[in-house]
Amino acid sequence: MRQAIRALGWATNVFWIILLFLTVTAVYSAFQISPEFGPYAMTAYNGTVTASLPFYIDNGGFYDISNLNLTTRIKDNRGTPISDSSTFVQLIPRGSNASVTHNMSMSISQMTTENLSYLLFNDSTFYVDIALKLNYANAVPFKISTNSTMPWGAPLSNLTLDRPNPTPMGAIVPLSFENHSFFELNGTMRLEIVDNTDHVVGQTVAVLNVQPQSSYGPGVYVSISGDPRNIRKARLTFQTTVFSYGPMVIPLV
Amino acid sequence: MLPRIVKAAIKGVLYFVFLYVFPIFLISQVSGFAPELFAGYGQLLNLFVAVVIFFVVASELTSGTIFQHAFNVGKAIILMIFFVLALNGGIVSLNLNVEGMPINVWADLRVYLMMLITIDLLGLAKSILQAVNFLSEKTEQQLPTPQPAS
Repeated sequence: MRQAIRALGWATNVFWIILLFLTVTAVYSAFQISPEFGPYAMTAYNGTVTASLPFYIDNGGFYDISNLNLTTRIKDNRGTPISDSSTFVQLIPRGSNASVTHNMSMSISQMTTENLSYLLFNDSTFYVDIALKLNYANAVPFKISTNSTMPWGAPLSNLTLDRPNPTPMGAIVPLSFENHSFFELNGTMRLEIVDNTDHVVGQTVAVLNVQPQSSYGPGVYVSISGDPRNIRKARLTFQTTVFSYGPMVIPLV
Repeated sequence: MLPRIVKAAIKGVLYFVFLYVFPIFLISQVSGFAPELFAGYGQLLNLFVAVVIFFVVASELTSGTIFQHAFNVGKAIILMIFFVLALNGGIVSLNLNVEGMPINVWADLRVYLMMLITIDLLGLAKSILQAVNFLSEKTEQQLPTPQPAS
C-alpha cells in the first residue's frame, strides 16, 4: 500500500506542476496576443454597400489559435437585421500573425424592397453586434463580444416635392433632397406629373450627380399639358448606380 | 507539540506566499487590463487561499493522528466543490466595461476544470489510502505478538 500511496503522491505533484505550468503560460500567452484594427473603408457598388474592416492578429503566445470567427450583425433601430457577415481563419500558429479583412455588406436593394425603405429618406443609427470566437490552445473555446452603434446617412434625406409653379414655357416643380450618405448619387431621376384622371400630363428625366453631404434642388423643369389645376400627384423613380427605387407616389395638394 | 506548530506556521506562510502573494503580483504585472479582468475573482482567490491554508495547518497540527488524513480528505473534497463553483461548471462569463464600451468575455474551461478535478481525485485517493494504511498499521500494532508453539 505504501508504494501505491507514494505513486499517487508523485502523480499528484507532477500533475499539479504541469497544470500550474499550463495555467501560467496560457495566461501569459493570452496577453501576448495583440489584435489591431485598421481604418475601415466604405464602398458602394451595384446595390451593395460594403464596409471593409482590416484586422491583424499577432499571436505572440505559446499556443495556437484555431477556428477564429469574426461575426458582425447590423440591425436598424427597430431590430430589423440589415447585414450578417462572418470572417473565418482556420489557424494562427504560435509566433505568427494573420491579416484579414472583414467585409460587412449591406444590400441597398434590400432596403428599397423591404420594410427598410425609410432608410433612404431618414437618417438613423445602426446597432452593430460584434463577436470574435476562437479556440485557444485547441482546448479552450473563447468568445469576446461587444456592441456598438454607427450612424446612417440617408441618400434622399428631407425629400420634398411641391406643386408645380407655372412658367411661360411649362412649370418648375420644386424638388429637393440632401444626400447624407457617404456615396455619390449618380444616375437619373424620372418625374411624372399625374392629373385627377390618372393621366400623365408631364414628365421629365433629370440627371443626378449629387456628392455626399450635399443637396439637390431647388427644382426641375417639366413641360405640362392641360390645366395645372387638375394636377393631383407626382411619381418619382430613381435609377442610380447604387440603388433603384420607385415609382413612389407623392400627392400634390 | 511546538515543532508541529512551527512547522504548521512555516507551511502556512509558504502556502500564503505561493498561492496569494505570487499570483497577485503576477496579475498586476501582466498588463493594465488584467486587474479589471480578474477583479471578480478577488474574493474567490481569498477564499481558496483561506481554505487551503486552514487545511494545511490543521493537517500539520494533527499529524500522526487519523485527523490528519481526515483533514486531507476534507481538503480534497472541498477543493473539488470550490473549483466547480468558482469556474461556474466550466463556463465562465465576464462583463467588462473598457473605455465606455461594454465587452462580454466568455470561455469554456471545462477541459481545465476536468484536469483540476482529476488531480483532486488523485489527491483524494491518496488521502483515503493513507487513512486506511494508518488504521491498519495501528491495528497491527495493537495485536498480541504471536508466541511460538511449544
